[in-house]
Amino acid sequence: MAPHSPGTDQIDTLLWIGFVAAVIFVVAIVGGLLYTARRYRSERGAEPRQVRGGRGIQVRVGATLALFAVALFVAGVVFTERARETPATGPAGLQTASTEPLTIKATGQQWLWRYDYPNSAFSYYKLVVPVDTSVVLDLVSTDIVHTWDVPELSGKRDAVPGKTNRVVFRADEEGVYRGQAATLSGQAYAAMRTEVQVVSPDEYQAFIESQKTDIQTAQDRVVRLIEQGETP
Amino acid sequence: MSAPRNRPEIVVEGFPRRRPRWTEIATSADHKDLGRLLITGALGFLFVALIELLLMRLQLAIPENTFLSPVAFNRMLSLYGATAIFLFAIPLALGLFYYVMPLQIGARGSALPRLGQIGAWLYVFGATVLYVGFLFTPSEAGVNPLAPLTELAFLANNGVDAWASAVGLATLGFVLIAIDLVTTLRNMRAPGMAWRRLPVFSWAAAISSWLLLFIGPVMLAAIAMLLIDRNFDGIFFADGSGGAPLLWQHLSWIFYTGSYMLILIAALGAIAEIVPTFSRKPLFNRGAVIGSLVAIAVVGTLAWMQNMLTAPIGVGWMYFAMIMSLALIVPIGLIAFNLIATMVGGTLRMRAPLLFALGALAFIAIGLSGELSHSLVAAAWKLKNTTDATASTHFALVGGAVFGGFAALHYWFPKMTGRTMGESLARISFWTMVVGALLAFAPLFLAGGEEGQVIDAYKFFDGTGVNAYNLIASIGSLVLAIGIVITLMNAILSRTGGPEARHDQWGGDSLEWLTLSPPEPHNFDVLPDVRSAQPMRDIREAIAHRAGRPTEQPARESQPVA
Repeated sequence: MAPHSPGTDQIDTLLWIGFVAAVIFVVAIVGGLLYTARRYRSERGAEPRQVRGGRGIQVRVGATLALFAVALFVAGVVFTERARETPATGPAGLQTASTEPLTIKATGQQWLWRYDYPNSAFSYYKLVVPVDTSVVLDLVSTDIVHTWDVPELSGKRDAVPGKTNRVVFRADEEGVYRGQAATLSGQAYAAMRTEVQVVSPDEYQAFIESQKTDIQTAQDRVVRLIEQGETP
Repeated sequence: MSAPRNRPEIVVEGFPRRRPRWTEIATSADHKDLGRLLITGALGFLFVALIELLLMRLQLAIPENTFLSPVAFNRMLSLYGATAIFLFAIPLALGLFYYVMPLQIGARGSALPRLGQIGAWLYVFGATVLYVGFLFTPSEAGVNPLAPLTELAFLANNGVDAWASAVGLATLGFVLIAIDLVTTLRNMRAPGMAWRRLPVFSWAAAISSWLLLFIGPVMLAAIAMLLIDRNFDGIFFADGSGGAPLLWQHLSWIFYTGSYMLILIAALGAIAEIVPTFSRKPLFNRGAVIGSLVAIAVVGTLAWMQNMLTAPIGVGWMYFAMIMSLALIVPIGLIAFNLIATMVGGTLRMRAPLLFALGALAFIAIGLSGELSHSLVAAAWKLKNTTDATASTHFALVGGAVFGGFAALHYWFPKMTGRTMGESLARISFWTMVVGALLAFAPLFLAGGEEGQVIDAYKFFDGTGVNAYNLIASIGSLVLAIGIVITLMNAILSRTGGPEARHDQWGGDSLEWLTLSPPEPHNFDVLPDVRSAQPMRDIREAIAHRAGRPTEQPARESQPVA
């Protein structure tokens, strides 16, 4: 999946580093095993050489491995710090979010995501955000642990009841990005999907306004029905 | 010149059994009987776990399959996790330790046999509770059931209680066995068997037991809290009343990560016995291997938060987890280096134990290399809870527990039963398992790493690019299962019908090969005087020297006195 946010760019680079390290290890160990297993068969008729390794070679091999581990650690910290940064809103983005990122509350519940926008509008399942805009999702949960995961825009994060977790991203292209909850949460876990729709800032404004009016209209109708003594 | 006939001997063969066999099994506190109980139970549950795995893979063979209902899938998943870890992998390791370690250190029994007996039977009771519970209401909460899903409000039936009781009983049993192992190791070593001369597998037993003494009670505490939450209105893991859902994650991941390490330590310990024996060379550097096993136990367990990198914990803790899991590179790499260096210049007899041992090492290497990216914090944000994690963990643990376990089984089977396992069946099984494991788990690396397929889900959707990967994985797990079943059949058939084994079947260097095959109840007629880390080699040389002829096997009727 191609990255569509500065953070996922960094994650992808780090993944490559991890992949290369993994390949080096697998080739060294499995290759070494295959080579020695073929080369030193008893059929070759030689007597086994009764040698033991001294401390020196252990220290050298251990130090090499330690250097490798340190290099990976440094790469891990560097790219994690970059991926954690809140990106700045770009010129094509929502200009009201140019200083403070656009903060949206994402609530996990069995088995749906609810998104609360700054103007008190909300939506279920589908999150609408403006393109090229710094977005912060405050992840919370009303029941159990859920994991928010839209791999093209961000790394995954857990919504844990009683805690707030954070996802930051800046979508670089308009379109629809799909995601799926990633922690087992009961019967309908596999169906707990979500969708991020990235639109232009104007469309975003229009969406949250219409969402707000629609919700208001629906609530007014319910209130009116109750006042008239009917069950809504 | 033949061996002198008048040397002291105690011949104890031919004691009649006084009681029926089942009474012997049910009441014996002998470490060999209990070890066999654990090993037999573990291999039986390996078969059960395979069936559960196959049912889940059948459901996941095609997208949006309806073969299993969501609830049935979650039950299968929970059962598979508990069976594979608590009823197969850990008891197999402990059973091998329990059987072999006292023989290796030259002990006539274990130090606290009744405690070990309670431990082994608690494992049997735990297994019974899990599967009796399964007949009524199994758990639906997954492999590591994360709170607060396990709270009464979300899963009201008794499934989670059954799971918690079963796992709790088994874990308590493991801790009691670990106490017996530690005590035996401290008190029952033969004269001269200093710690520096202890065989590597016995070192692995010591390290694993100490590890269990730390992580076992942590899990027991977590389970006690869970049961209090569910049955006595507790609030340990319930949010909103002062409880902390993350507390369960910390406690349970300490145990799960620790037992991951335990399984690797047991497998590497067995491999480090097998490779030198079959290369006819001493281990390249014993000290480095033993030190590395200790480091794996300490550092690997401290990396428990590697499983919580997406949870709301401080980034400092994430880096702590990353340091600890990357530090594992050094001991794991050193062990691999020493094992390969042991083979260099040796004369390899490519028999079944060595074949499985090398396979185990290769799969552990693949699995742990896959885990590397799960340690790099930001990369883990993408890979965590995808099938990439399934693939890494299964490569490492199938490599450790199944390949490593089978290596140990083939190696010590002659000692336990007096028969060797069929060599050609072992070869067929090995190569079937290699192909099966590669097909079953390698595609999951791609499905998770590339397409982000999530774990534990009862279905995946068409058009997400993972159809082919899942189909191949399902076929692969069937092949893997066939390979495993061949070895299980081989063990059953060879127990009575295998070629008769010699007492020193492979020419090993440790003391278990001094005993008869199978050993007498008291293990040793005469306790040997240990002068080096290769006591059996010394004994063989002493006999050859005394007899003025090249080394040969000890006589069947009695044991040589060294």
